Amino acid sequence: MIEGIGIGTGGTGSTLLLAGAVGVVFVSVLLLGRVMLGPTMQDRVIALNVIGSNAVIVIALLAGAMDEPAFLDIALVYALLNFLMSIAISKFTVERGGVL
Amino acid sequence: MITWIEGGLLLFVVLTALMTAMLRDVLAAIIVFGGYSLGMAILWVVLQAPDVGLTEAAVGAGVMTVLFLVTIARTTRMTGLEVTTVDVNWSAAVLCVVFVFAVLATVPALPAVGAGPEANPAFGEVSSYYIENAYDDTHVENVVTAVLVAYRGFDTFGEATVVFAAGVAVLTVLRREVFE
Repeated sequence: MIEGIGIGTGGTGSTLLLAGAVGVVFVSVLLLGRVMLGPTMQDRVIALNVIGSNAVIVIALLAGAMDEPAFLDIALVYALLNFLMSIAISKFTVERGGVL
Repeated sequence: MITWIEGGLLLFVVLTALMTAMLRDVLAAIIVFGGYSLGMAILWVVLQAPDVGLTEAAVGAGVMTVLFLVTIARTTRMTGLEVTTVDVNWSAAVLCVVFVFAVLATVPALPAVGAGPEANPAFGEVSSYYIENAYDDTHVENVVTAVLVAYRGFDTFGEATVVFAAGVAVLTVLRREVFE
């Protein structure tokens, strides 16, 4: 609990952080439209990369709102995985067959 | 406010699952499946199970994507089907929905979350027994480890067999990719 601005469970600061997380989740749902429509595979990979970045943001906001600093480690792992996933798909589309 | 996050994430997960099943282009379905894993992983974090969330992200978004890509690299993939969807067998789909609702109808019969041993007899006595006697019985300091490797050792042995078989299968698929 950080005094003054109400970060931690139940304070006004944590409500603000949760509201931000709701907004970012809403944006991720909208991004699914771009993943669905494409039209090229590059559009889909970029849209998925943005969704992964949104996942990192949501988990970081939740770590602040729920006062659980351990969640930040998970956010870091997601950031690394997100990069790996985008690279794997991009490499597959450019040089057909090479993934690793 | 947490309810809104959970609702949004559930909507995201259901949409990505439907798109994975419906999209005809395999590569697009793999990309959407990566999104599904990310949504599922955040849901685990929201439900206060960060270790499961880590596993979901590492296995679902990381390993599965690469494995699927290697699989279609070694087989064939039809192109030019960018946004077409598969033909849905509607009677089978309706049957699946009916089955899901039949299973969901049993949920109200479950004991409430956090209910005491009187409402939840199957778990009340066992968990307190493990917590009190695990160290004397097994001399393992972590009670979860004690349950996994001592009390349920044969279950864990079966699990390890399955994981080993899966690892061998993955190496077989990846071999050309890795050793070329």
